[in-house]
Amino acid sequence: MPEQLSITLTVNGRTHTKDVAARTSLADFLRDQLHLTGTHLGCEHGVCGACTVTVDGRTVRSCLMLAVQADGREVTTIEGLKDPQGAWHPVQKAFFEHFAIQCGFCTPGFFATAIELLGSHPDPTEAQIREYLSGNICRCSGYQAIVEAVQAAAAALREQATQGHAPRERALHDHERG
Amino acid sequence: MSGTRFVNERMVGTSVLPNEAIPLVEGEGRFLNDISMAGMYHVAFLRSQHAHARLLKVDVSEARALPGVIHVLTGADLLGQVEPFKSMPNRFSGGQSTQHWLAVEKVRFCGEAICAVVAESRALAEDAIERIEVDYDPLPVVTNARAGERDGSPLVHDTCPNNYLIKREYQNGDVDGAFAAAHLVVKRRFQLGRKQAMCMEGRGCVAAWRDGSFKLSMWMSHQLPYVVRHYLARHLGLGETDIRVVAPQTGGGFGQKASIYPEEFVCAYLALQLRRPVKWVEDRLENMVASTHAREHDIEVELAFDAEGRILALQSDIWTDVGAYSTYLWSAGMEPLQTGGLMPGPYQVKALRYVTRGVATNKTPVGPYRAVGRPSASAALELLLDQAAAQLGIDPVEIRRRNIIPQSQMPFRNANNLVHDNVGYLPCLDMAVSKSGYRALRAEQREMLAKGKLRGIGIVCFAELTGLGTSTAVGPGTLLQPGRDAVTLRIETTGTLTLAAALPSQGQRIATAMRQVAADELGMRIDDIACLTNDTGMAPYGFGTFASRTAVFGSGAVIQAAGELRRRILDVAAHLMQVPAEELMLVDSVVETIDRTKSLPLRQLAERSFFSAKDIPSEINKGFEVTAFYDPKHGSFAAGAHVVVVDVDEETGGVEIVRYVAAEDVGRLINPAVVEGQIIGGIAQGVGEALLEQLVYDENGQPRTVTLADYLVPSALEVPHVELHHANTPSGALGGFKGCGEGSIIGALAGISCAVADALRQRGGDIFQFPATPERVLRGLGVALDEAV
Repeated sequence: MPEQLSITLTVNGRTHTKDVAARTSLADFLRDQLHLTGTHLGCEHGVCGACTVTVDGRTVRSCLMLAVQADGREVTTIEGLKDPQGAWHPVQKAFFEHFAIQCGFCTPGFFATAIELLGSHPDPTEAQIREYLSGNICRCSGYQAIVEAVQAAAAALREQATQGHAPRERALHDHERG
Repeated sequence: MSGTRFVNERMVGTSVLPNEAIPLVEGEGRFLNDISMAGMYHVAFLRSQHAHARLLKVDVSEARALPGVIHVLTGADLLGQVEPFKSMPNRFSGGQSTQHWLAVEKVRFCGEAICAVVAESRALAEDAIERIEVDYDPLPVVTNARAGERDGSPLVHDTCPNNYLIKREYQNGDVDGAFAAAHLVVKRRFQLGRKQAMCMEGRGCVAAWRDGSFKLSMWMSHQLPYVVRHYLARHLGLGETDIRVVAPQTGGGFGQKASIYPEEFVCAYLALQLRRPVKWVEDRLENMVASTHAREHDIEVELAFDAEGRILALQSDIWTDVGAYSTYLWSAGMEPLQTGGLMPGPYQVKALRYVTRGVATNKTPVGPYRAVGRPSASAALELLLDQAAAQLGIDPVEIRRRNIIPQSQMPFRNANNLVHDNVGYLPCLDMAVSKSGYRALRAEQREMLAKGKLRGIGIVCFAELTGLGTSTAVGPGTLLQPGRDAVTLRIETTGTLTLAAALPSQGQRIATAMRQVAADELGMRIDDIACLTNDTGMAPYGFGTFASRTAVFGSGAVIQAAGELRRRILDVAAHLMQVPAEELMLVDSVVETIDRTKSLPLRQLAERSFFSAKDIPSEINKGFEVTAFYDPKHGSFAAGAHVVVVDVDEETGGVEIVRYVAAEDVGRLINPAVVEGQIIGGIAQGVGEALLEQLVYDENGQPRTVTLADYLVPSALEVPHVELHHANTPSGALGGFKGCGEGSIIGALAGISCAVADALRQRGGDIFQFPATPERVLRGLGVALDEAV
C-alpha cells in the first residue's frame, strides 16, 4: 500500500482532514476523495489547463500539484464559485449568456483563469485576454465567445465594484425560468 | 429570455439560451469519468511498444499476483470467446484486415492493446501493467503510403497485397480529350500531415452487469449509442434488448467518438465475465496513440482549362496513409474515397478522374474526423486554382466566379454525380469579397511588399454535403447507409413534452435546438419541453450524431411527429371544450379558440386525458405519444467562402493570421449563436490543421508526438477573431435546415493554405506540405535548412 499522509485543507470554504497517498495529485484528491468532479483532467501533464483550480488566490494546474502540497492551504474549484446566496459568479453568468461553453470539459479551467485575470486587470483588452487564456485549451469554441464572455464579465465586475458590491442578481433562477 | 412570448413569436431563428449548459456552468455535468458504481473495478491496458512485431511471449503471472489485481486478460483468452473486428466490406476494398480486441500473434502499431488489467484502482492497474513481460520479435515496418503500395514492401496484413485496404479508380467524362485540347494545364502536389480530433475528454466507458432489466449497461463517451448497442450484441452474442447504452455528458467528439474500438468492447466482456461494473478512462497518451487519427494525404492534382479560365477536367492521384486497421464500422474508405469524390466542391467540373488508395501502415488507424477528406481535397484544388489564375493573368476571385455552380443552373449534377440544389455559392463569394474589402486588401498587400513586409491573401469557396438521406452514401462503398432517424414526442401527465431521439450532443446544443423546433411546431412554451438524446433505454432507434446530420434529421422528425401529436391534442381538446377541432389552436402550451374566447391549458388537458380517461372516448383519446422517422432522401449542400489574410515573418517562418472573414450558407438557422459557435470552432480546428497540428512518426513507426507539448493545439493566441457573415439559402429538407458542424474547417484549411502560398509567391516561392510550419515556410522561401531541423 502506498504511504499515506494526513492533510488538512480548506476547499470551497469547508475544512477537510484526510489521509492521502503521497503520490495522489490534487486533482485526483478533489475528484476521488472529495467527490468534486467539476475539476476535469484533460492531459494530466499540465498543458491543457482543464484542471486549473485556485490555491491561495493563484491558479494552479491541479494535475501537477500533489494533494500533500495543498496541506494547510485554501482551494477553490468550480463548485465553489457561486456566492453564498447561490448566485453565479459574473464569469459563470457571462460564459453562459455568451454561449462560451460547448462541450464544457475545459470550462472549469477557463473560469479559474478568467477570474484570476479579472482580479489583476479589471478592464483587459482583447489581446490581454487572449494572452492570459493562452494556457487553457478549448477545442470546441474557437475562443471568440470566451473572449466576449470575459469582456462582459469584466464589465459586470466593474459595475459591481462601483455599486459597492451589490448582491449578485439571481442568475440561476432567471435562467431556469427561461 | 423573457418568460412571456407573443403568439407569433418563433423560437427557431433566435439564440435561445441553452438550459442544458447549466450543469456545466456549475461544475455538475456528469462526464464519463464522473460516474462511479458500488463495487466498480478499474481497467488499464498494456499497449505495444513496437510498430510491427511478432508477440513471442506475454507473461502476466507477476501482474496477476499483485495485491489488488482482480484479473489480467490477454488476446489468447478472447480467442473463440468473442468475434474480432473484421473490416467492413467495401465495394472498393483491397484485402480484409482483422483486428483482435487484444493483439494476437502480431502487433501492428505502437499503442495497440495487448492486455487488459482489472484492479481495485486505476493506479494499481497501471502498477500491474509494469509487471507484464512481453517478448517482441520486431518486423519490418511500413510508415509511408507511397512506399507501402510498392511491390516488395513489407505487408501490414498478409491478406492485403500492396497494403491496399481501399483502392478506387473513377472516371466520368472525356478526361484525356479535355487535357489534350486544353488551353492551359496546371498541376501540383499537396500533402497534409496526420492529425487527430483531440477532444478535451478522451474516450472511456463504465460497463455494468445486470443494471435493471439489462444484462449489460454501458455508459460510454460516444456519438452513436444505438450503433454501439447493435455491435455489442453482435460481438458478444447478446440480444439488443439485453443491452442499454448511454452517452453521458461528452467532452467533444468530432468523429473520433463515432467509431467502434476494442477497449470498450473488452470492458463490456469483462463486466459480463466478472459480474461487476468496470471502468476505463483513456488518458491523453492513450488518446494520442489508440484513438483514431485523421488525414495524412498525399495528392497530385491536375486541372485543364480553356482560354477563358473555365475548368474542362480535373484529375487527381491520392494516397492516404490509413494506419494499421480498417477502422471498424466505417472501413478504411472514409478519407481516401471522400477526398477523391468530393474534390470538385462547388465548381462545375465536366470531366473527372481520380485514383485513390487507402494504404495500410504501421500507425494508428485513421477514422472519421470533422469534414473527412474535404479539407485536403478543397485545399489541393484551391491552391491549384490560384496557380492557374496567376498563369492566366486573372484574379483569384475571377477564376472562381467563372467556375462556380450558379443558382440559375440548379439542380446541377456535377461530374462526381452529386446534385447541387438550394445552395448559394456565388452569394457567399460575393459577400466574402465585399465584407472583406478584397480590392483594398490587395492594394494593402502591394504597399506592404513595397515596405518589405510579406502578406498573403487567400480567398476560397467550398461545398459541404450535410444531412445525408438514404439516397446518398455517408460511408462510400460500405454497407452502412444511415439515412433515416426517429424522434419520439410524448406529452406527460403534467402537460410538459418529452422529446426523445438518439442524437447525442458533444457540445452542439442539440437539445436546445430540438426544443426550439418542437416549440414552434407544436405551439408550446420552450420551457415546457425536455429533450433526451443520449440513451438507448429511452429514445427510438437512430444512428447518432456525425456527418453534420443531426439538426436536419432531428428537426425533420420533430416536424413530422409534431403534426400528428398536435392533431391528437386538438381532437381531445375539441371533445372537452365542445368546439370543432378546426377552430382550435395550440399557443404557448394553451389550447385556444381562434377568437381567443375559450381556452384550456395543455396541463389540464393532459391530466384529464390520463386520469379522467373515462370522460373521453378512446377513438379520440389516442395517446399523446408519437414517433416519426425522417429521411431527407438527398443531402443538403451547405457552402461558404472565406477570405484569410496572413503575415509571414521572413526571419522565423512564422505565420500570423491578421484577418479572417467568413461568409456561410448553412440554411435556415435554428439557434444563431450555436451555429456561430460551430462555424468559428471549425475554423479554429482548421487553423491547427493548416499551421500547427501534426502527429509525427519516426522511421521505425514510433510516435514522436505523444503529449500536448509536442502536438500543438491552437490557443486563443493563434485563433484569430472571425468576422462571420451569413448568406443563407434554405435547403430542400423539412424546415429548410442544413448541417453546420463541418463546413468551416474545409474553408479554413484551404483559405489559410492559399494565403500562405500567396505570400510566398510574392518572393517567387511556394509551399506544398502542410501544416505550414515555420520550417516549411522558410524552405518555401528558398532558405536552405539542415535536414535535421
